[in-house]
Parts: sequence; structure tokens; C-alpha cells
Amino acid sequence: MRFLLISLVLLVVSCASYPKKKKFKQASKAKFEIENPYFANASLDYVYKADIKVLKKSFSGIFIVKKLNNQHHRIVFTTEMGNKLFDFEFLNETFKINHILPEMDKKILINILKHDFFALIKQNPFSEKQFFKGNSKMFQSELLKKNYYYFFENEKLNKIVRTYNGKEKVTFLFSGNSDNIVSRINIQHSNIKLNIYLKKL
Amino acid sequence: MSLLLLVLTINNTLAQTKMSISEAAALQVKVKSLAKTTSTITADFVQKKHLDFLSNDIESNGKLSFKSPNMVKWAYMKPFQYSVLFKDDMLYINNEGEKNNIDIGSNKLFKQLNKLISASITGDMFTTEEFNISYFNTKKGSVVYFSPLNEKFAKYIKEFHISFNNKSEVSAVKMIEPSNDYTLIQFSNRITNQNIPDAVFAH
Repeated sequence: MRFLLISLVLLVVSCASYPKKKKFKQASKAKFEIENPYFANASLDYVYKADIKVLKKSFSGIFIVKKLNNQHHRIVFTTEMGNKLFDFEFLNETFKINHILPEMDKKILINILKHDFFALIKQNPFSEKQFFKGNSKMFQSELLKKNYYYFFENEKLNKIVRTYNGKEKVTFLFSGNSDNIVSRINIQHSNIKLNIYLKKL
Repeated sequence: MSLLLLVLTINNTLAQTKMSISEAAALQVKVKSLAKTTSTITADFVQKKHLDFLSNDIESNGKLSFKSPNMVKWAYMKPFQYSVLFKDDMLYINNEGEKNNIDIGSNKLFKQLNKLISASITGDMFTTEEFNISYFNTKKGSVVYFSPLNEKFAKYIKEFHISFNNKSEVSAVKMIEPSNDYTLIQFSNRITNQNIPDAVFAH
């Protein structure tokens, strides 16, 4: 009986919502659009040096994002020498593979990258729940059926977290941002050993 | 007036004319003999990655070191520090100080591609079993188009364009993808047959 009680308590604790765990309080249930400004300017070429650590391997390359139109982005990854590794395209929520190296053409990998990149480039995710803690704001949203929280510190987007059952699965950290250009991005996965570092060139 | 325009257009197109068979043969002989007498090359390079959807080409630059027959080091200096060394069929990477030889570039295709890049440094890749080859004269020398015959390979690179200066040295290499996006590498300050310190090719 005691064991059951402990289990129940543990269950309740572990099932606490992500905002509660982070000690954020719900501010409103307004419907509005979050603004992710980092890949939003169609006149710019966003070019980053990418360092990727996956399992025990690490490799690097050039990560390129271009906004072609509203809700339309192209995402390309090449080696430093210019060989194209993959070339993806998002039009609204439709994901298209223009090119991928056969060695990388694995469903699981593509699915991970699809969700990661969509969260990166989605400019105006829709939010229905907002939370706050001091000067920090946190907006809940859903992208491609996954649950996300957008963190704003002094009105600047500095973190996006994907959660599942109240637990952090993927964390996007943004730093060194000025004029809506972010100089460093780190995408950390907690359930798989995958870490992506992007440094603005 | 329109006739003048037409003439001008033709003149412009003629800046690159197809070589005669004997001219092409002469170029081959020159390039091959130059390659034979070249033991080392160092050069500065500028790389331009052209992707049609971008507003600007992505530019990087660095230094190339080549030691006959097949040791090549591409050292990028700007806008990132990165070098890749091809040596004894191995690929050694130094990514901003982090050394690595387990790389996606170590796959078969890239090895083959990089072998070709090595060959293209001297330009001696006139192997008709592997390529469909066309020769052109240009204002500054010549340019040779190599289209891979291997279908699998052609999926990655549609054509190599190797430009030679009047001394039959390679001045630029352009690798064109099936999508028509390309990588252009232009060489300058080329120095041949000067001793290159072993440290350059050490890992």
C-alpha cells in the first residue's frame, strides 16, 4: 500500500506539466502568433558552419537556410568543399527532399532533421497558452503534432524546447543575437546522442 | 542595329570556341608532360559555392598544397579554419583544431570525387573510359568539359570544367551538379616544384 502511494506520488510529480516543473505561471490563454525572427528575412542568406556530434562520431559542414517566400524555406547542408549532403524544402507544413546523399537517406534521421529544422524556421507558430516567471515569458505551441515551448528573455527568443509527457526532448539554444540574426545555435537531443552546433559565418 | 547586336552576340559566344582535334591533342600532351614534371604545387584558392536560390555565392578561401602523385591538402583559412588532407587513401580532417578522420567525406563516393579533385589539380584526367570530354579555346587559354560516364557518379556531378591558362596550368575547376548548382575553385599565386615542409602533410 505504501509502495503504491509512493508510486502514485511519483507519478503525479513526474506528470506535472512542463511549465509547472519550470515554475512558470500561466498568464493567459490568448490566441496569438509567436514571432521567431531568426530565419525570417527573405533578402538574407543564412549561412552557418555546422558541427554535428552523433553517437561517437562528429562531422561538420555548411548549413544554409534561405527564406524563399512566406512559409517557404530551403535548407541545404554541404561539406566545406561544397558537396551537397542534403537539400530540404518546407512549403507551409509540407516537407520535400530535393536531394539527399544515399548514406544519409534513413527514415529515422530524416524525421529527426525534419522536426528540428521546422522548429528552427517556423516564423509564426500559433500559441494558445502563455506562461511567465519574472521577466521570462514562455509560449506553448504545436508544430507538426509535437509540443513546443518558446522562451523569451527581455523580449528576445533565446530558447525553444520540445517536450513529451512534460519532459525535455529537444532544446534549441540561441545566443549572440543582434538585429534578428543569431550567431550561435545549439540543438541538443536528450533521448538520442545528437548535438548540432551552428555558428554564423 | 539588331544585326549589330546579333554580330556582337555571336562574337561573345565565340569567346569560347570548340578546339580542333589536333589542338585538343596538343593540349593533352602539354598538360600530361607538365603533370609529369610537377612534383609539388602550392597555390592560393578562392572557392565559390553557387546555389541558385541564394542571393550571393558562399565564398571561402585558403591554401592548396599538392605533392605528387596524390597527396593533397586543402587548408581553408576564411571564413573558417578547416583543412582536409588526402594521403595514402585516407582523409584527415582538422576542423578548427579538432582532428578527425571518421567523416562523412570518407565514403566511397567522396573518395572517388576527391581523387578526381586531385587529378584536376594538374588537369591530367583525360581518361575517355571515365568521361565524355570536350575541348574549348577561351580568351585566356582553354577549358575542358569532363562529363562522367558512370551513371551513379553523374547523379552527383554532371560536369567538371577545368580551365587552363596559356601555360597549360589549371587556373580553375568548376564542379557542376545535376541541379546546375556548382562549386567553382579559382587558383592564384601558383608555385611549382618548390620543397613543401613535411609538416604540411603531417596529421
